[in-house]
Amino acid sequence: MKDKMTIILFSGDLDKAIAAFTLATTAAASDMEVTIFFTFWGLNVIKKKRFTLSSPQNLMQRMFNIMSTGCLPTSKLNMAGLGAWMMKKMMKKARAASLSELMQLARELKVKFIACTTSLGVLGLTKEDLIEDIDEFAGASTYLAEAKAAKINLFI
Amino acid sequence: MKADRTIDCTGLFCPMPIVKVKREITKMKPGEILEIIADDPGFEKDLPSWCAMSGEIFLSLKKDGPIITGYIQKK
Repeated sequence: MKDKMTIILFSGDLDKAIAAFTLATTAAASDMEVTIFFTFWGLNVIKKKRFTLSSPQNLMQRMFNIMSTGCLPTSKLNMAGLGAWMMKKMMKKARAASLSELMQLARELKVKFIACTTSLGVLGLTKEDLIEDIDEFAGASTYLAEAKAAKINLFI
Repeated sequence: MKADRTIDCTGLFCPMPIVKVKREITKMKPGEILEIIADDPGFEKDLPSWCAMSGEIFLSLKKDGPIITGYIQKK
């Protein structure tokens, strides 16, 4: 049986998402079964568009959605997006893989994506707001069942 | 060492060299040797570690300035 690794991606920060996907792709390339559980801010990483008003949202949900519009921020020195812009430039210059490339790779390597339905509900998002290749929509029990069988479990 | 295949991973950073190694080795037959040329300093440690996890056979690694050349064999 293959070894397993799980990652809870709670953050919606560019740098943390890159760290999560770097580990996920490396583990998958090392013959591990990898699951990423996207919850709360982490859902911003798998949103189709950064801003959506398509789904029925109340005022506060709408405000949250508007406030998390734009590119993913860096966790430090974001400076209203300047930091994230600089980081992307620097990574490109160093020829390091971008987040979208890493996400594409993760899909090729069969990394399983699970979206947290509770967070989706709280934030007023629907399945349609997310990228198409989400494997499962589930909650904490599904995550824990996966984590219990895994050797490596990370919260990012 | 005579390799059956060679991949060039120079200019690439983690996780790309390992991902490329994985991609290439899946196309190979058991016993065949893969040569990997890389220049990410971490690759020196990462290649034997990856072999330990994946079960592929780590043969050798040599360094020539910043260039790391590794040899692994498909199990």
